[in-house]
Amino acid sequence: MKELDLLKKDWKKNENSFEQISEIEIYKMIHKKSSSIVKWILIISVLEVLLWTLISVCFNTDEYLKKMNHIELVSYFKVLTIFNYGVILAFIYLFYKNYIRITTTVATKQLMKDILRTRKTVQYYVWYNLGMAVLSLIIGFVIAIAYNPETSILNDQIAHNGKVMAITIGVLFLTTVVFFGLFWLFYRLLYGILLRRLYANYKELKKIDL
Amino acid sequence: MSENLEHSFVKQLTDNQNIIHKICRLYTDCEDAHKDLFQEITIQLWKAFPKFRGDSKFSTWAYRVALNTAITLYRKNKRTVATVEYEGRQHFIKEVDYNYEEEEQIKLMYKAVYQLNDIEKALVFMYLEDKDYREIAETLGISEVNARVKMNRIKGKLKKILNP
Repeated sequence: MKELDLLKKDWKKNENSFEQISEIEIYKMIHKKSSSIVKWILIISVLEVLLWTLISVCFNTDEYLKKMNHIELVSYFKVLTIFNYGVILAFIYLFYKNYIRITTTVATKQLMKDILRTRKTVQYYVWYNLGMAVLSLIIGFVIAIAYNPETSILNDQIAHNGKVMAITIGVLFLTTVVFFGLFWLFYRLLYGILLRRLYANYKELKKIDL
Repeated sequence: MSENLEHSFVKQLTDNQNIIHKICRLYTDCEDAHKDLFQEITIQLWKAFPKFRGDSKFSTWAYRVALNTAITLYRKNKRTVATVEYEGRQHFIKEVDYNYEEEEQIKLMYKAVYQLNDIEKALVFMYLEDKDYREIAETLGISEVNARVKMNRIKGKLKKILNP
């Protein structure tokens, strides 16, 4: 291509025409803070993990369960809590491992893959927590109906009145859907803004090798 | 990190800064953005520097980190418009054998390159830098054959932009 050769000639000719930055300025630069997307992903991820871990730790069900007078429920939930801690630890380990793997010295495609993988790890963790939240909601609801003496009047009503039961289930279902919908929207927005360019470039790179 | 390392880095980067300027020239369209990207690349280079072993040239190593930063890590602060006038940024001294027609064509070419996407720009950049297809492929993480095919497609795309 003739024009490209022309451009190359010009490119080479002007190679040394840039205003030079002094050593002192470069010294200053390396002590400034990066604003790369990796840094943002790290900040957001740490916040997400903290938030969800805090929620799952603070969500103390012991007192509530004791009130039910069913000792076997307490031990079931102990198992669940231990499992939950295991997941948190495994997740933090995975996230850390993926995060330190991100380095700018690898091929572009690999770098993008590493960033997306790190991002996905957090996403899975959030979905796990959301799933657990919904599961707790359902279990809590079932327990309330089956065991809680305080709600026995309501229970009778639900059991004997199809309408009340339908409304209760409907409201629960709707709450769950709205809950999930809001989260989905939030994530789409947050990471849509942050990762749009990365996704586009990654797709372009993958397309080349198809 | 030791002062020695810092000194060695700053010295080498200062000597090789044109690599970064050239990347900034392709990926940004105003002076502020140029400076901003230059700074981010410098930070990323510094971060990666402890892993630089010196078994390759500083410039070869810097190419990759700088390109990766421009394509992947850098967050544009403002939405940039691709069709910005390039003339405003050119302060080059005109040669005696100034060829008006050629100069016009070069300007149009720069404009056309600006309209390419980030990946295409990377290929054009390495092409302009006389990198061979093996290195282009390795840098981007694609196969050598496909790098060649893509470059040919880019040439076609540039032609189309020039002669719509």
